[in-house]
Amino acid sequence: MSDERVSKRARARILGRVREANQEREPVEHPGTLPDALEPPGPFGDAGRSDPVGAFEDRLRAAGGEVVRLADEAAARKWLEEFAREFESVSVGVGVPDTLQPALPKAQPSEAALGVSVAVGASAQTGSLVLSSKEGRRSQLLPPVHLIWVRAGDVHTTLGDALQACREDLPATLALHSGPSKSADIGQILVTGVHGPGRIIAAVLLGPRP
Amino acid sequence: MDVHSRDYRARARQIIEETPEVREAVNAATQTFVDNRQKAFADLDGTALSRWAERVKSHALSHLADYLEEAEARLVERGAHVHWAETASDVHQIFECIVREQGVKKAVKAKSMLSEEIGLNPFLESCGVEVFETDLGEYIIQLLGEPPSHIVGPSIHKSLDDTRVIFHERLGTPRDASPERLAEAARDLLRDAFLTADLGISGGNFLVAETGSIALIENEGNIRLSTSVPRIHIALVGIEKVLPKWADLPTFLQVTAKSATGQPVGCFVSMIQGPGGSPGDEPDGPEELHVVLVDNGRSRLLADPEAWEALRCVRCGACLNICPVYRQTGGHAYGYVYSGPIGGILGPGLVGLEETLPLPFASSACGACADVCPVRIPIPDLLHVWRQRAVERGLTSDVERSVLGLLTSTATRPRLFGWAEKAAGLLPAPVLRHLPMLREWSAGREPPRLEGPTFRELWDEGIE
Repeated sequence: MSDERVSKRARARILGRVREANQEREPVEHPGTLPDALEPPGPFGDAGRSDPVGAFEDRLRAAGGEVVRLADEAAARKWLEEFAREFESVSVGVGVPDTLQPALPKAQPSEAALGVSVAVGASAQTGSLVLSSKEGRRSQLLPPVHLIWVRAGDVHTTLGDALQACREDLPATLALHSGPSKSADIGQILVTGVHGPGRIIAAVLLGPRP
Repeated sequence: MDVHSRDYRARARQIIEETPEVREAVNAATQTFVDNRQKAFADLDGTALSRWAERVKSHALSHLADYLEEAEARLVERGAHVHWAETASDVHQIFECIVREQGVKKAVKAKSMLSEEIGLNPFLESCGVEVFETDLGEYIIQLLGEPPSHIVGPSIHKSLDDTRVIFHERLGTPRDASPERLAEAARDLLRDAFLTADLGISGGNFLVAETGSIALIENEGNIRLSTSVPRIHIALVGIEKVLPKWADLPTFLQVTAKSATGQPVGCFVSMIQGPGGSPGDEPDGPEELHVVLVDNGRSRLLADPEAWEALRCVRCGACLNICPVYRQTGGHAYGYVYSGPIGGILGPGLVGLEETLPLPFASSACGACADVCPVRIPIPDLLHVWRQRAVERGLTSDVERSVLGLLTSTATRPRLFGWAEKAAGLLPAPVLRHLPMLREWSAGREPPRLEGPTFRELWDEGIE
């Protein structure tokens, strides 16, 4: 039997059995959106709401990430020039503005020393940067160091808010990066930089959107 | 994967007696998980949160057919291929077709318990495909030829030295290499595999019906790479993984990560809606996305009026970590993909009671698993359901049956129970050791001396 016929037969049987199984069951109502009071975590509650960038910074740092706050584009360019000195080559995501690209030789993502992205959002609750596959995934994943620009206005208090903001235009893959790649699979000892980037730097642009 | 649960008692004894270092490693790792989980839940209303999560999952399961159709429609709109599989052999056939048509020679694979259920790796190897497990823990046990020992930490039963030895033999790292050096050796080898593989294989933590999204949580980045770099991505998703809405996802991502490792969320989360490359007009990503929706016993379990609640499981492993029985042996004793308390109710539900006995009995019925379950599966109650069924169907040994019978008839007659309790205290240790209920238990232990007033006597006197 061909793959498609196997699948078609299986589909009919599975859905049939599932419907039959649920026929006798009292349907359970969806409880609705999670009440605000239950949003994890409690600790940064009010502080997180008044200062999401600060809460985001705390969270990402606690997971081993680095955060730098930059007052405006001029400060960002100056910081970038200094930061880029330790790298030999760069792979830049599609859509990173020219002004936020380091003056380094371009390289394939698998060869580059640094990857640069622009986040489509961030979540203070989890210390996550939200990345879209529309800018290309290889420069987000293959270089050992990952610099991610994010605008302060795109830092949401909760992960729910950050994901809701992307709901209408979902790319093929939306990703959260919330710390450097790590593993404790070798004798329960924490090692960073296993497969993905071992260093993640969030550069927060505080100024108004240009 | 073949099920070897019938040997549970012999295997457990063997692990405890012959490899005491396993107990040590498993205890240390699970204690870390338990401590981190506790910290993660310290400042939130875990009970209310788990009630909410329970209701979302129960709602999704009670409307499962509609949600599966909705997820399928969204995925197809985005250019993904959706396949359905009733059994392991259906999954094999689907993989065989894709692998043959596309000339796949090399595959990189992210951790998937479902792939273990259906024995995917041996099958792909029989098709001439070289499979690389890319999660570091999975890679270690792949080199060792062992199955995973824990849902979240597949190699928690292995020490640093175990990894040093196998990496020295297979990758040529120094015999005393640091964990960093070992990780680097694995990274280099697997990086080459990521860049040259034709196929990436993943599981799926959640499938969001509203958007067709497959969500995956991890820490290493190997799942992001497996689902991004190769030309083809196949995701294996159990039909019970459905969440109704996009808005349900953020809480489930957090609750699962907190329950598993105590992290706010994994270092990396992927939310996959469709293929990325040429059809999706994106710069890179797989050109083909295949989603295989797998039943493999789930719809039958859904029809079970009592045991169906096990299908809410999000595979966080919290019940394994807290379980005093699991912690003695790790997962290998259980002889089934899912070990610990959840294995004792998923095993009989998905595979059958006869095949997975005595897993529902591999528990001290202490109830700790119920306290940590983020979706409120009544694990001890369900273990009891399967135990009762085992007795009713005559699947337990005569001794177990008579002991259970004796215990029930004694325990329901207070005066008789009091007498029996006193009598046990008067028996000398060698006799106590040969009571049927204690014979097996006492084989590896000193029997306790029952002395002093009995619990019931203390109770009657009142506790000072």
